[in-house]
Amino acid sequence: MNGAQVAVAALEREGVDFIFGYPGGTIMPFYDALFNHAVRHVLCRHEAAAAFAAGGYARSSGRVGVCCATSGPGATNLVTALLDAYMDSVPLVAVTGQVRTDLMGTDGFQEADVCAITQPITKRNFLVDDPSQIAATLAEAFALARSGRPGPVLVDIPTDVLKAQVTESADLAPAPPPAAAPRAPDDAVRAAVARIRAAQRPVAIVGGGVRAGAVEAFRTFVALLGLPHASTLMALGAADPLDPHALGMLGMHGLKAANKAVQRADLVIALGMRFDDRVTGKPDRFARGAAVIHADIDATEFNKLIPADVILHGDLRDTLEALVAELVRSQVPRFDAWAREAQELGGALPSDRVAENVLSATDVLDRFFAAIPPEAIVTVDVGQHQMWAAQRARPAHPRRFLSSSGLGAMGFGFPAAIGAQFANPGAPVFAVVGDGGFQMCLPELATLRRYGVPAKVLLIDNQNLGMVRQWQELFFSARYSATNLADNPDFAAIARAYGIQAFAVSDPAEADATMAAFVAHSGPALLHAACHPTENVWPMIPAGMTVDDLMEARA
Amino acid sequence: MTCDLLLRDARSVARIINLAHRFNCRCTRIDASAVPGATTASFAFDGPAVALTRLRAQIDRILAYEAPAGARLPEGTP
Repeated sequence: MNGAQVAVAALEREGVDFIFGYPGGTIMPFYDALFNHAVRHVLCRHEAAAAFAAGGYARSSGRVGVCCATSGPGATNLVTALLDAYMDSVPLVAVTGQVRTDLMGTDGFQEADVCAITQPITKRNFLVDDPSQIAATLAEAFALARSGRPGPVLVDIPTDVLKAQVTESADLAPAPPPAAAPRAPDDAVRAAVARIRAAQRPVAIVGGGVRAGAVEAFRTFVALLGLPHASTLMALGAADPLDPHALGMLGMHGLKAANKAVQRADLVIALGMRFDDRVTGKPDRFARGAAVIHADIDATEFNKLIPADVILHGDLRDTLEALVAELVRSQVPRFDAWAREAQELGGALPSDRVAENVLSATDVLDRFFAAIPPEAIVTVDVGQHQMWAAQRARPAHPRRFLSSSGLGAMGFGFPAAIGAQFANPGAPVFAVVGDGGFQMCLPELATLRRYGVPAKVLLIDNQNLGMVRQWQELFFSARYSATNLADNPDFAAIARAYGIQAFAVSDPAEADATMAAFVAHSGPALLHAACHPTENVWPMIPAGMTVDDLMEARA
Repeated sequence: MTCDLLLRDARSVARIINLAHRFNCRCTRIDASAVPGATTASFAFDGPAVALTRLRAQIDRILAYEAPAGARLPEGTP
């Protein structure tokens, strides 16, 4: 076997079924090993899309997503998606080709020091210069990607190492055993429960850590206490969609009830979340009257932005189960009355002015979420449509609402839907995208077509980079610098050119029928919704401010 | 703040120095020596207390990511 064959065999041993990638010079031996192999390669039309697709695969399934690219530009095109995976704790392994070992450091053709480039945005990366280490390195990469706080790992392999012959015995390296997850100490669990028992207005905030097998434990915990709870963008779906104590998303464009309840709380129970600035606004004014219990698997998150009174360092499911076990040792407190009060702090989502007979994006999204089946997986891109969707979505599980949350990478939504569809072939998958982000990955329509992937794209086209336009309107004296996309192409015609069924709607009177036809279509499809150009996202807490500064309409 | 570290990957020395600058800290002393697979490194950092605490936590995470369970440093580690 050569090194490339060993690498592909190592991927197969890890249970990899799909690799998302794009070939090129230095990684050709790897592609040769993939030829007619059981590990299937999905050819995307850009390496960035391949890596986002691998992210969508991983986010929707919990399994490690795998992408590959050649050296130099191929490898550097993976960078944004690797950072996206790092920010959102998504298990990903990227395999990159590298120039020959004797050319490394000579500015060789398509040479990039991708290990140096990705060092701050991966859990770890490896340059494999010994073919006998390929299998062991890939095994370590997978173990690291999926263990503890998941994240991306990059394995860079020079082309001569991929071509080199490897003895059979050298490639069968056993995977290192997974590192034991930390466990919150008993005294910390008791201290947390004492805080909960003493609280009058506790609120739980659940974050992306809940994706690591903690959804049921979270639902049990909040149900036991009748606890009101808010969610970060990463954790939408952690709560049962019918849970009356769920306050929805909090933060900059979060729901009023969620933000106000947290601000009025005397105890914040932070579960697998990291107090992102889009959640807290100004940290020293966030939940001013509250003590904080912070549970996370990553010790770097404790006291990073918000000081914690009780630290629960451990796997979130274990921590929640330990809290429940400690709570039921004596009478369990109930917070139903406070939960009802918290819910009443909100109200209907504010709507923005939209001219009659012009399609409102929020109206389109209301119809969309009413039309899709409850088991649907929805990916979103980044911008206004993302926030409107997050305000309205009621996913049944966090793996059914996928968003580039920490990084906010435009161009994520559509390829992530492709990856999610490969991981979940029987599930209805929809990408909700804006006209800006969709144009960053339009060629992936070819990927849909080639593989017959039935994922569908709802395009909210307001002919603007809407979120930036909104900020320009509100904070830059309506000086609309480089946000107008009034010269957008005919998206439906583009989809049809790729052989994709296209629907289009601009008349509100036709919205229901068109949406129904789009959702019911059995194959890949695009729905182009031509929406009002200046509809804003409300509510909004301006950056660096607090819920006290919440805006619900233009001044 | 001082840190005496045993690293599997010599490149982590560079990573730690970059992190210090990212956190608005300053690396005031670095001593490192290496054999294949193991590097001993001694650092001193200056900076705001909060930033130093964050830096230390990040360094601990780098160490954890470097050493999967069962990994052993090679013979002759300095």
